[in-house]
This record gives sequence, C-alpha cells and structure tokens, in this order.
Amino acid sequence: MKKLIELTGITKDFDGQRVLDGVSLDIMENEFVTLLGPSGCGKTTLLRILGGFLEQDSGTVVFDGQEISKLPPNKREINTVFQRYALFPHLNVFDNIAFGLHLKKLPKAVIREKVTGVLKLVGLSGFEKRHVNQMSGGQQQRVAIARALVNEPKVLLLDEPLGALDLKLRKEMQRELKKIQQEVGITFVFVTHDQEEALTMSDKVVVMRDGVIQQLGTPVDIYNEPKNRYVAEFIGESNIVDGVMLRDYEVSFEGRTFECEDAGFAPNEEVEVVIRPEDLEITTPERACIMGTVRSVLFKGVHYETMVESDSGIVYNMATTDRTEVGDRIGLWFGPDELHIMKKG
Amino acid sequence: MKQKNKRITPGKIYMTLILAFFYLPIVYTVVFSFNSTKSLTHFKGFSLKWYEKMFASSSMMDSIITTFVIAILATVISTVLGTIAAIGMFRSGRRLRAYVTQVNDLPMMNPEIVTAIGLLMFFATLKIEKGFVTMLLAHIMFCTPYVMLSITPKLRSLDPNLMDAALDLGATPWQALLRVVVPQLTPGIVSGALVAFTMSFDDFIISYFVTGNGVSNISILVYTMSKRVNPSINAISSLVVLIITVVMIAINVIPIVRDKVIKRKEEVK
Amino acid sequence: MKQFRSMSYPYVVWITVLIVVPMLLIVGYAFTVNGTDLLDFQFTLDNFQKFFQDTVFLEVLIRSLRVALITTVLCLLLGYPAAYIIANALGKNKFVLIMLVTLPTWINMLVRTYAWVGILQKDGLLNAVLGFFGIAPLELMYTDTAVIIGMVYNFIPFMILQIYTALTKMDHALIEAAADLGANRVMCFLKVTFPLSLPGVISGITLVFLPAVSSFFIPKLLGGGSYMLIGNVIESQFLTVGNWSFGSAISLIMAVIIMISMYITRRVDKNGGENA
Repeated sequence: MKKLIELTGITKDFDGQRVLDGVSLDIMENEFVTLLGPSGCGKTTLLRILGGFLEQDSGTVVFDGQEISKLPPNKREINTVFQRYALFPHLNVFDNIAFGLHLKKLPKAVIREKVTGVLKLVGLSGFEKRHVNQMSGGQQQRVAIARALVNEPKVLLLDEPLGALDLKLRKEMQRELKKIQQEVGITFVFVTHDQEEALTMSDKVVVMRDGVIQQLGTPVDIYNEPKNRYVAEFIGESNIVDGVMLRDYEVSFEGRTFECEDAGFAPNEEVEVVIRPEDLEITTPERACIMGTVRSVLFKGVHYETMVESDSGIVYNMATTDRTEVGDRIGLWFGPDELHIMKKG
Repeated sequence: MKQKNKRITPGKIYMTLILAFFYLPIVYTVVFSFNSTKSLTHFKGFSLKWYEKMFASSSMMDSIITTFVIAILATVISTVLGTIAAIGMFRSGRRLRAYVTQVNDLPMMNPEIVTAIGLLMFFATLKIEKGFVTMLLAHIMFCTPYVMLSITPKLRSLDPNLMDAALDLGATPWQALLRVVVPQLTPGIVSGALVAFTMSFDDFIISYFVTGNGVSNISILVYTMSKRVNPSINAISSLVVLIITVVMIAINVIPIVRDKVIKRKEEVK
Repeated sequence: MKQFRSMSYPYVVWITVLIVVPMLLIVGYAFTVNGTDLLDFQFTLDNFQKFFQDTVFLEVLIRSLRVALITTVLCLLLGYPAAYIIANALGKNKFVLIMLVTLPTWINMLVRTYAWVGILQKDGLLNAVLGFFGIAPLELMYTDTAVIIGMVYNFIPFMILQIYTALTKMDHALIEAAADLGANRVMCFLKVTFPLSLPGVISGITLVFLPAVSSFFIPKLLGGGSYMLIGNVIESQFLTVGNWSFGSAISLIMAVIIMISMYITRRVDKNGGENA
C-alpha cells in the first residue's frame, strides 16, 4: 500500500489552548482510518486541517508527495461529508450533487451521467428532483456522501456523519459506508466518538486524547492490547487491576501469580492488568482463579452484566450468559491469553 | 368553543373601538377623496374631480414621481449596500461590529428631527446643493440599517458548514458567497428591501429638511398644501394608502403563499 | 472566512460620514457663536443661556413635555388592554389583529394626521357623533386636545406592539403556576402578568414619548400655525430663522431631556422590579 497522506508534528492552538500537540500520522491509499476520541480531543480539528479549513500552527501536511498546508480547500483533491451534512437548502438533490461538477464547467451530459451513477451507488436512484429538506436524515446523509464522492476525490473526510441518526439507521449506514468505501476504493478518514463505530468500520483506528495520539492500530489490536488505561477504558468495558510483573510471562495480583503472554517488563515492575468482561468465566471453586460474591445482576438481552466482588475487595464486571443470583459465591476463571498487561501511568 | 366565539365580550367591543379609531381616519380620507365638493366634513356626492385635479397638477405629479424614483433608487442601493455590509460585518472583529451596530442605532433611536438637522448642516457645510441628490443620500442613510437588521439574523442562523461545503466542492470564496450564502439570505434581503421601500416612500421629516430647489415628495407636498383646504390631498393620500397596503400585504402574504405553493408541489410528488 | 471582512469597510466609511459627522456637527454648532463657521470655532454657551433665560422657550419646553407625557399615559392606558386582548386571542385571530394594528404604522404619518383635520372640525365627524349622544359641539381644532388625539393616534400602535411582544414572550406556565398556588385571575394579573410585561411597557413608553416630545408636524397640522412645541421651534430655527447654533442647542437640550426621562423610566422599572 502506498502512503497517501503524511502528517508530521501538527500543532494547533485556539486562544492559547493547545488543541493538537505534535500529531504525526500516516494514511495509506484505500485505507479506512478512524479518528476516535471524546469531544474536545482534537479529532475534528485534525480533520479540518486535512480539509484545508484550518491551518496548523506548526508541522507539515504532505499529500501525494506534496506539501499542501497553504492550499485552500477548493484546490485540494479531498472532499468532506460534514456534520449535519451541510446540504444546500436552496438546491434539490441533483443540483446539490452537481454543485462541484458545475463549478468545474463539465458538459451537461457528463454531469448527468456522473450524478446518476453516484446516486445509484448510494441507493438513491430517482431522487434527483427531491428537495433536500423533504428527506429523512439517512437520505440526507447519502446525498452528502454522493455530493462529495461525485468529485472523485482521493480522500473522503467524514466528520461524525452518523451522529444525528438513530441507532438502527446508524448500524445500517455503518455497513453501507464500508461497502461504498470498498467499491470506490479511496481513502476514508472518519471522525467519531463512538468506539463501536470505529471498531466496526476501520482498517486503522487512531485513539486521541487532549490533542495527542494515544494509540494507533487495527481495531483488533486496539481492543485486545490497549496501550494504557485511557485506551482500555475508552474502548469497551474493561476491568483494570493493579499488579506486579514478577518476570516475563508471570504476573501477580489478587495475592496470586498467574501465567500471561506479555514480556519485556522490568522484574517486579508495577503494572496494570486488563481483563475484558466477556473473558471472565464462571466456574467451580476448584478450577477458579479468583473467588467472589455476586453483588448485582443486570439483564442485557444477550448476556447478563454481573458484578462480582472478589475476596480481596476488587469488583469485576463480567458479561456472562450464565444466570446467577445476588449473594451467590462463585469462582472466576480466565486463561493466560485473556490477561493484557499495560505499563502503569 | 364555537358558542364562546360568537358571544360579544367586553374585550371584543374594546378591540372593535380601538380598530375603528385606527381605521376610521384612513377610511375618512379615502371617502372624502371622492367628495364632489371642497368640504372636508360633508359628503355631497361621488366625484372623481380631485383625482382629475391631482393628475392635472404638475406639482402633484412631480412629487409622486419623485417619491417613486427616490424610493426605488434608495431601496436598490440600500439593499445592495446593506447586504454587503451585513456580510462583511458578520466576518469582522468585535470592535468594528460594535461600532457599526451603535452607529446604525443612532438614526433609528434618535428623534428624526435631530437626524434631519444634522444632515441639513452636513450638506450645507459641504456646499452640496439641497435637492434630489441630498434627499436620495439621506434616504439611503436611514434605510440601510433596516436592511441590515433584517439580514443579520439570517446570517446568524446560517449553518457555518455551508460555506465550507461549497469551498470543499471546489468553489472559490466568492463563488461560495454568491451561490450558497446569498441564496440563503434571500428572504431577509427581500423583506429588508420592502421595509426600505416603505420607509423611503413614507418619509417626511428627513426629506423635508434636506430637500431644496423645489424638489418635493408626496409627504412634503401634503405638508405644504395642508395650510389650505384642498381635497386633492385626500386623493393623493388615498393613493399612498393603496400603495403601502399593497406592499404590506405583499410582505406578509407572499411568504405564506410561497410556502403553500412549495407544499403543494411536494404533495404532487 | 476573513476575506469578506473588507466588504464592511465601505459601509463603515459611509456611516461615519453620513451619521457620525452630522451628529458631531450638531454638538459643534450648539457651542459655537451664531453666524460663524465651524472651522473658526468660537466656543460659547450663549445658545443654551438664551434658551433657559427666555420664558417663551421654557413655556414651549414645558408644554412639549406635558403633551408628550399625557400622550404616553393615554397610550399606555388605552394600549395595555388592547395588547392583553390580542395576546390572549386564539390562533388566526391573533395574527389578523396584530396585522391590523401594524398596518397603519406603515402608512405615512402625515397622511394619517391630515385625516383628523376633517374629523375634528366643528361640523366634523367627531362632533356629529358626540351630538348623537346629546353633547354640544366642541371646539377641538387648534387645541391641546387635538394635538394629543393626533399623537395618541399616531403612536399608540408602538405601545400595543411592545406590550404584546412582552406578553407573548411570557411563559404561560407561570400564570398556571400562580393559579395553581391559589391566585385568582386578578391576583395572577397583578402579581405575575403585569410585572413580567414591564419590559414591554418600558420600551413602549420609550417609543411613544420620544417621537411625541420631538414631533413638529402633528402640532402644526392640528394645533395650527401659532401652536408651538419644541419640534416647531427647532424647525423654525433651521428653516425660517436660520440660526443653526441656537437650533442645535435646542436639539441637544431635547436629546438630553429624552435621555434623562428614559433613564428615570428604566430606574423606576428596576426599583419596581425589585419590590415585586
């Protein structure tokens, strides 16, 4: 895969407040990259710098081998799907989508052909004459995507595009977006605060906090091997327990020593151990790694969210299909590959 | 509910009296413009002679033409000027914005006579001959703040991403402004223009102080003629009432009709 | 998009020249010896002295204030019930009523004032109506009464519209809450509705008092040629006598009086608000 965008040392201040602090990031061709983080983490600012709506205070933006920091948005081969879509309310669907093509002064027939094509791609064939205000949120979303894609950009930027949709529609659009990205074969840079959305769609997830990249990797990596407590807590539920790394592949917590698959820590280094709720199993006292008492049980549909307090007083959140009652004494079991060790801090 | 609506309440009587107070003088003027005698108090019979006199009087016709020409020019110029200024001001720094807002408030908040004498002395000091040009400049001056007042809220409610979206799709800033921002402002621009038109069309005090060389608009003419009884004033007044009523109905009804037409189009689809 | 900033610059120049400079001219001339050019400015307070030492001018000032005050009070007393009725009207009626109140304000004031010349004549419509009730014809034209009728007629819509706006902005739940807490309709009005509509009353008073105190064509048309209010004095100083300095000084005095009355009105509102 070829490198398409290279961000180096991007820093941006707003009114003395540092929003981006030395962000460096490579984006490949045909990659689905998600910038993930809570509001105020700088993800939208980074996207706007890529789109050309903001200029960074320092650092470089190289696109296809060229430094483009001074290039205005209308000169970039990048298009954006805006938050709340920003469709032009005075134009119908066709004219919204054809906006960029009209500006390029393409022949009418070509414009018609391209618009028809892209409408088919987003599943809105026959909606050309519709007024954008008469469309549902999901349809407006598709128009916004079509309007950007029809210009055949090399990169599509999407700023929380699914934020305004209800849950069911959001799931549907997630699949659809992924499909469209694979069909057109261009790079998508997607901004969201929804970790599940990030994990479902992306090739690469960039977790950000306070203008700094915390971790960068595939969804599986990020989920299974969070680099720090922040990432672990942001990506899904997790139990984080203080422990000591006795030596490679051996960690001690809850007053016991467990086998694990992590290495490279100093002997007796204090660490944090991450166990995902779905990795905890209920078992018999003989087989148990930890013994505990059930404190609460919430039915969640597919599973029960069960809180178990261990004998040493640590509360574990577990997702299990086994039904227990509050007050039950149960054993918890996990395998060596289900423990993930992080540096403390 | 229906029964309640039909009942005569003190409130209804009161509103009827108030509205009678508002409209009786206007109706009175229109009725007496058709009076066959010179009397302002006794209606002796229907006649169009005061209208004939109005059309025959060159000073009356001149004032009508002046009023229209000034109103149309002032509307066009103040609408263009106000739109440009409102957009520019919206993008400007806080201090410039505060200055413009406060200065704009002056002619709207000051007694009109104060604005009028200020302009009179200004034109005289600069040795600009009082007449058509000074009246036009003054009208543009007091109309533009009203135009801006009706555009600024539209600018504020504009989705800031629309401008970005246009740039993103390849528009230059000017193209984005003309193709995306201005069309969004159109309702505000139109109502601003209509307000400017009525303000200019109706103006008396400022026009009266800054005019000269025998240039009069309808108001000035009515004022100078009112010293003697002349029912042609009623004729010209009725004309004013008619024009302003039409403009006001246009302001209030056009948006409603437009919405209905759009809705119908939607239903057809 | 800072590139559009420059679009406001022509207008900034325009208002500075056509609004700010004329205002400064008024101040400048008010303190200049009459008949001299502003360029060779000679400071003087004579213009103000002349005004306050001449009983004729002081009488005019007092008459202007009295007429404006009576007009404002009448507009408030007549306008408040009307605004209240409109604010409580239902759906379409409300829209129609507000249209009917607004429409006359857009029609030339001069034209509407002139209509009263016929109505107020001794053998005019008003006396005919009064005669119907057995009241002898009144001499109305060229009196304070005629001027006040003309002013109330011209300015009352502003009062109604301001109070109406304040009343409709009010959260209806507050009245329901008051009723829920045991207040009867009169108490609801006195303790909730009226205090909350005060901002509208204040701006209504401003919008009536300001044009009333400075009006000059209403007194001219309905009060006659020798009836003088402060607006008429300013008019004659500029258009007949040609004494710009004295005219400017009177305008400044009027502006200061208006500012003081507005200040007092707001203060009264504030204190009233605190007590309530």
